[in-house]
Formats: sequence, structure tokens, C-alpha cells
Amino acid sequence: MKILKLLLLPYMAAVVAAAFLWPEPAKGFIGESSRIVFFHVPCAWTSSLAFVVAAAYSLAYLVKRNPWHDEVAHSAVKIGLLFGVLTLITGSLFASIMWGTWWNWDPRESSYLLLVFLYAAYLFLRAAVDDPERRARIAAAYALFAAVVMPFLVFVAPRVTASLHPQTVINPQGKILMDTPTRAVFFGALAGFSGLFLWLLSLDARATRASRLERAR
Amino acid sequence: MRRKTELSATPGRVDQAHGSVLDAVLAIALKDATAELRRRTAVVAVLFFAATALALVSFAIGPFGLPPDDRPPVQAALLWIILFFAAATGLPRAFAHEEETGTALALRKTLPAGRVLAGKALFNFVLFLAIAAVTVPGFAVLLEARAGSAAGLAATVLAGGYGLAVVSTFLSALSARAGQRHVLFVLIAFPLLSPLLLTAIQATLEALRGGFPGTPLRVLIAYDGAASCGAYLLASVAWEE
Amino acid sequence: MPSATTLTAENLSKSFSGPPLFRGLSLSIRGGVVGVAGRNGSGKTTLLKILAGLMRPSAGRVLVERDGRPIPDPDRRLAVGWSGPDLELYGELTAGENLLFFRRAAGRPERREDARRRLRDCGLDEEAFDRRVEEFSTGMRQRLRLAFATLFEPDLLLLDEPANGLDAEGRAVLAALVARTRERGAVVLASNDERDLAGADERVELGAGAGRKA
Repeated sequence: MKILKLLLLPYMAAVVAAAFLWPEPAKGFIGESSRIVFFHVPCAWTSSLAFVVAAAYSLAYLVKRNPWHDEVAHSAVKIGLLFGVLTLITGSLFASIMWGTWWNWDPRESSYLLLVFLYAAYLFLRAAVDDPERRARIAAAYALFAAVVMPFLVFVAPRVTASLHPQTVINPQGKILMDTPTRAVFFGALAGFSGLFLWLLSLDARATRASRLERAR
Repeated sequence: MRRKTELSATPGRVDQAHGSVLDAVLAIALKDATAELRRRTAVVAVLFFAATALALVSFAIGPFGLPPDDRPPVQAALLWIILFFAAATGLPRAFAHEEETGTALALRKTLPAGRVLAGKALFNFVLFLAIAAVTVPGFAVLLEARAGSAAGLAATVLAGGYGLAVVSTFLSALSARAGQRHVLFVLIAFPLLSPLLLTAIQATLEALRGGFPGTPLRVLIAYDGAASCGAYLLASVAWEE
Repeated sequence: MPSATTLTAENLSKSFSGPPLFRGLSLSIRGGVVGVAGRNGSGKTTLLKILAGLMRPSAGRVLVERDGRPIPDPDRRLAVGWSGPDLELYGELTAGENLLFFRRAAGRPERREDARRRLRDCGLDEEAFDRRVEEFSTGMRQRLRLAFATLFEPDLLLLDEPANGLDAEGRAVLAALVARTRERGAVVLASNDERDLAGADERVELGAGAGRKA
């Protein structure tokens, strides 16, 4: 495990370098802006992953009532918020280059904004409850309820006919329309960001657990 | 299915009657309604809020003299914004009041959380309909909203209102004993209700323009179903000690 | 006489973000009167709430059984009666409406006459039935709490400070109620006041490391 953590830094450095140096910029995009896909999409993927992790660990907490599960869920939300905000920022940068505006009320954009709000709401809810057991339970209930209700956002978004958002990686033909260097860096970045997420998650959750155990002594 | 009715209390006899969910739901909704009618604080406050918001919106938008074709999107959005905030004012009292007055314990002792939640959601839905009964006609009059499809508008208000009531009641249970209750409620409600509100606005827009909003209504009903199941299943977690 | 309904607490402990109120507490309530003693803040109210199912323990579990088998929800809630100082009924409703509501909501509606009789049995006079609870005095409220505790004819009663605010007449009513329930089941009575615990068959002492004395 430790070796993976140590490799993460040079790996990510390589990914970042490759993102700027290896593949050619994609056609149909202004200047080098297509390179943002190596950062923007993995951030979006990671913040969505965080949601799944938070919901899963929230369920685990309700079943087992193990504080560690609550700590992981909490950390997942915090990191999900971080990557969600990064998604919005990178998306916004891209939009300003391509279309000259920072925000377009595109359904995909808006759904990520709502996801960020959801994470923030979860954190507010936690902050409003003092008793640790109640806080964990209420936060878990909120996370699971959100897991039930939020997917409808996915249905709301595509109902708008025209979307500015570039075609996603997985498209109707089921083929990945990227050349080899792009594909390599893209999936490399995806793996790297996932690794980054897991590492941050582990760090934050363990730190929270450590302070809880410290207080209990 | 007839359940055994215990008409006389015989000490020592343990009755095995199973209370049906409907008994509980109706009893709670009725109790909340009775208590509210006698107290009148929540209902009055909420209706006043809706009327005030309506007036403000009319004063603000009216003078702009939007061309008739441009009005529906604005009307649709404003309608649901007012409904959301009016609901946020009144619906969370469902559980908050019980906690404040200390009656929550008696309720929790007697009934499973799911039934309590269902009963209160029913009351909240009725409260929402009262708000809509003030707001929607108000829109028709003050903002000259014309519904091309009245049935579509009615269906949207019902389906959207139901979802709003269920989610608000659930979140009320969650936030009943938290700090900063009122602000907290709006913060935690907004992300969860956004899919509902956006869909309802879309449906209202289509109804105002004359078409029956079949697709958005299907989404609303699906949302309502999912929210109902989620709320019922998670009720005891949200409302345990 | 042994109760058909039994309550067993296994290894209960409870803490509220601090040192535990009690730890490893096990109880078997099968009959008679069990007195729970302890200073203010020693956890009597918390213990009774946990036994009543109103609170979750930090560790351990509570079993409510009839004839050896666990009673399923929602009947389990009604099989054990509880009253405590935190208990409040709906102020805007009359005493009668309160009782009738809880009975109806639990699927066990009863006639008005039966609800009236309940209030009488708890020492509340005729006109209390139609009076709003918000107008009740302290003593009346306490009597109403007792009416709530016995609302579903439970074999098991958990009474937390039941004599609070009661006059001599009220105490007599309480004693009669405890005696009646003890005949067919069990009563757990928590109090600061030694007078209330005088007739107990068993005692549980809380505070400074919970212990149990038979």
C-alpha cells in the first residue's frame, strides 16, 4: 500500500506533463483548450465517485454503527466537494475560452453545481448537530435520501434539447473517439485522480478517527 | 381487511390487534390539522407569506410589461419559487413543533416513525394545497398567467406539491433537533428539491403554453415515488432519539 | 405473579460524548416492582428511556418478549408503558382528544366512555376530559402522564418520577396503579425520593459505576 502512495506523486507529475506535451490538441477546440479534458473529466468523475462512496459508507454506518464508516463518509463528502469545485472551475475556464462566458446554465454544468450544493448542505447539517452519534446518524440518513433522490437530476439534465457541453467520452456509437495518445493520457489521468482521491480519503478519515480516539482518552 | 376493534379496555387482556398504517396516517394528519386550526400560527404565517411574495413579484414584474409570449417561463419559475419558500416557511414545523413542545416523545413511544412521517406528510400536502390555492389564482390575476392546459397545470401542482411535501417532511424530521433550524432547512432542502422544482417549472411552462406536460409529469411521479419510499424507509433513522 | 411480558436488558451502556453514564448493565424484569435509585444526573431517566425504546443504548440491547418470543413492532411499543418528566401531550387538544388520538393512531380506537373512565382512574375529574391540556395544572398533567402510560393496558410499566407534583390523593392513585400492574406484570419505578421506592421488590442503584442490588 505504501509503495502506491509513494508512486502517486511521480505518477501524477508524469500525467500532468504528458497532458501538456504528448497528445495533439483536439480538432474543433480553440487552441490548447481540449487539454482540459485530462483534468476536468477526472475531477468530475472523482466527485461523483465520492458521492457513491459516501452513500455506501453511510449505509454501512447505519447497519453496523461503526464510527469509522461515518468518518469515511464524512471525508468522502469533503473531498467530493473539493473535486466538485475543481470541476466547476475547470469547466468554467474551458467555457470562457470556447464561448467567452464563464457560465452558461448548461444542464450538465448546473447539475454539478447542485452536487456541490448537496455536499455543502451535508456539511452544514453535520455542523448543526452536536451529539456525535446523532450527527452521524442524521448525516447518514441525509446522504442515503440524497442517493435516492439526486439521480433524478440525471434525468432532468438531458431533457433540454440543445447542450453546449462537448460530447462525452462514452457516446451513442459506443466507441471511444480518441486517438491513442489522448486515450492513454486520459485514462492515465482518470486512474491518477482516483488514486489521489483514495489517498486523500484515507488521510482525512484516519485523521478524524485519530482525533476522536484522542478525545476519548 | 377488518381489524379487531377494542371497544372496552379490560385490564389484563392483551390485545393482539394490528393497527393499520392508514389508521395512523389519518389520525396523525387529522390531529395536526385540529391542533393547527386551534393554534392558527403556522397556517396564517404561511398564507401571509405566500400572499406577500405574490404581491412583491407582481409589483416587480408587472411594470416591465413582458410580451405575452415571454411571460410563461418567468411565471412558471416564479410560481415554484414562491411555492418553495412558502413551503419552507410552513412545512418544517411538522416535526419542529413536536420537539419544541415535548410531544415528540409521546408520539415516538406509540408509533413507528414511518407512520408518523406519512401522517405528517399528508398534513403537509394539504397545507401545500392551501398555499397553492392562494398562489395559483393569484398568479392568474396579478400576473395575467393563462394556462393553456388547466389539467396539466393542476396535475403539475399536485405531483410537484406531493414531492415537496414528502421531502420537506423528511427533512423536517432530520433537522427537528438541530441548531439553526430554519436556515438549515432551506440549505438542506434546496439540493434535494431542485430536480423536483426544475421539472415542475418545465411542466408548468408546457402547461402554460397549452400542452399537457406528459414527460415532465412522468419524471415528477417517479421522483415522488422514489422520495416516498426513501422517506418511509429512512424515517426511523431520521427520527430516532 | 410473573408477567407474560418480560423485558431483558443485556449489557447496556450509554454515553453522551463523555464518560459513560452506566456500563454493562443487565436487568431482567419479570415481575414485581423494581426500584431504580440514583442522584440527579445519574442516568435514571436515560435508562428508562432506553428500556422504553425511546433511546438507543451505546452498547447492549433490550428485549421485550411475550411467552419467550420477541414481540414485533408496532405491538412492542404498546406492550411496555412509559411515563417520564419529559412527557408532554398536545396542549391544544383536550385530555380526552389526546387519549382518543393515541388509541386511534395505534389502531386500537376506544369509546369516549372508556377514555373518560381512564382519566377517572388516574384521579382526573369529569370536566378534565373536555379541557385543553394547556390549561392543566402540574398535578393534573402528572395524572395525565399516568393515563398515557397505562393507555394500552401494558403488563410492563416504566415510571420515571411518577409522583412529581402529586398531592396525597395523587400518590394514592399512583400506588393503586402500581399495585394493579404489579398483580399481572411488573413495574420499574425510578425516583429520587425514597418514599416512592419503599415498596420495591428489587433495587437498581445508578451512579458512580452502575450496580445492581437484589
